[in-house]
Amino acid sequence: MKKTLIGSMLLIWLMAPLFAFAGVPLDTVKANANSVLEVLRDPKLKGEAGRKVKEQKIQAAAEKLFDFVELSKRTLGLSWNNFTPEQRKEFVQLFEGILKDAYVDKILAYSNEQINFTKEVPLSETTVEVDSVVVTKGAQVPINYRVIKKDNEWRVYDVVIEGVSLINNYRTQFREILGNNPPEKLLETLRKKTGAK
Amino acid sequence: MRSVVRNVSLSLVILWFFALSFSVVHGQEAVLDEAALPAQGPVMLLAQGLTPVPAGPAPAKPSDEYGNVTAEEAEATTGKGAQIADPIEPWNRAMYHFNDKLYFWVLKPVTRGYKAAVPEDFRGLFSNFYKNLESPIRIVNNMLQGKPGYAGKELVRLVINSTIGVGGLRDCAGECFGIKGRNADFGQTLGKYGVGFGFYLVWPVLGPSSPRDTVGFVGDWLLRPATYLSSNFFDPVSMGLYVHESVNTTSFHLGDYEALKGAAIDPYVAIRDAYVQHRTEVLKR
Repeated sequence: MKKTLIGSMLLIWLMAPLFAFAGVPLDTVKANANSVLEVLRDPKLKGEAGRKVKEQKIQAAAEKLFDFVELSKRTLGLSWNNFTPEQRKEFVQLFEGILKDAYVDKILAYSNEQINFTKEVPLSETTVEVDSVVVTKGAQVPINYRVIKKDNEWRVYDVVIEGVSLINNYRTQFREILGNNPPEKLLETLRKKTGAK
Repeated sequence: MRSVVRNVSLSLVILWFFALSFSVVHGQEAVLDEAALPAQGPVMLLAQGLTPVPAGPAPAKPSDEYGNVTAEEAEATTGKGAQIADPIEPWNRAMYHFNDKLYFWVLKPVTRGYKAAVPEDFRGLFSNFYKNLESPIRIVNNMLQGKPGYAGKELVRLVINSTIGVGGLRDCAGECFGIKGRNADFGQTLGKYGVGFGFYLVWPVLGPSSPRDTVGFVGDWLLRPATYLSSNFFDPVSMGLYVHESVNTTSFHLGDYEALKGAAIDPYVAIRDAYVQHRTEVLKR
């Protein structure tokens, strides 16, 4: 009886790190978001030069936080398999560029918004949803990050804003192109989009 | 105008139109959705284990991060994609372009001027004020959705905010007493009753909608106190309030639409999908 008690206590003690581990996905996203906010609020970074530095720092934070390969795979779904390895690499590169270009400006416009991280929802064995709310004086926008664990690191593969999943949104757009065309056509469209800037 | 705002911010767009033949239209929706998925062809083939078009070298090993996607993996992410039929796409695209111009030529410049002139704190008070005025919509629809608890909370919020909150300018119920309400609208209520979208329908000025959400919009409009300012359905004061509310809301969301549009490959499809995803998610709340 006593043995079982000690045994179970030992087991609980051994499992303690596992429980503590449950907060890692949220902390990862939170730490990255906070580092971006710090950059945005840095009073030393002003004017055109400051903006450039901010841009670079945000891009670096995005690269650390996002798993663009996973994001691309999940966006394309099974269509991914129709791409050759070279086409896959190019697709990831182009897609990453488009997302960064579009959202860096938006993030730069942030100033006194407050981000509250609310909870973690497990989605599968390796994926977790980290929920947050961006609070301004006139609105509260729920933004959820879906993260996946790879090599002991949690990285974002989808962002869900007001119930709208980024990767689902792009899948719908890509499907219209990939439906009747080979992968090359999609790459061409993406190249044109990045080149047009 | 307000709906352009809401669509812009990925917030609600609520507009609704025609109650009859919902179940019929809903039934058709499923069929049309199938047709609207051209990618299903190749996807199906792959799911049956046929090799992908072997252009170039053989696909990398599964352990490689650029390796193939398995059917289960794809199912896990693509399985729950919300869809909508779009039989009147030419009309919708034309209206999308109209609303896009309306935003860039009218709403955005007006909002920028407004934002520059009115401090953020004041704009915050206005947005509380309008939210408070729309309490009847939330009370009635929470009741209709079988959530009398939330309907009660919304009623308490209305009473507290209208009095202690000085006519709804402050959200005292939330800030002083921690009473949180629940958003609810008539389109959502209809959806919870099993009414489908019908199809995608873009209104000029009001933006993305569907027959169901158009009926919902009209229902909600009838619950707005401003509607009863005069006996005319289109009263200038009521309209003025509506325009101000739209501009005030947009002042907190400038740049959202630009980001979405800038990031999109086909902005029309991106917004249609955002509308469907958002309105589908709202039903789960």
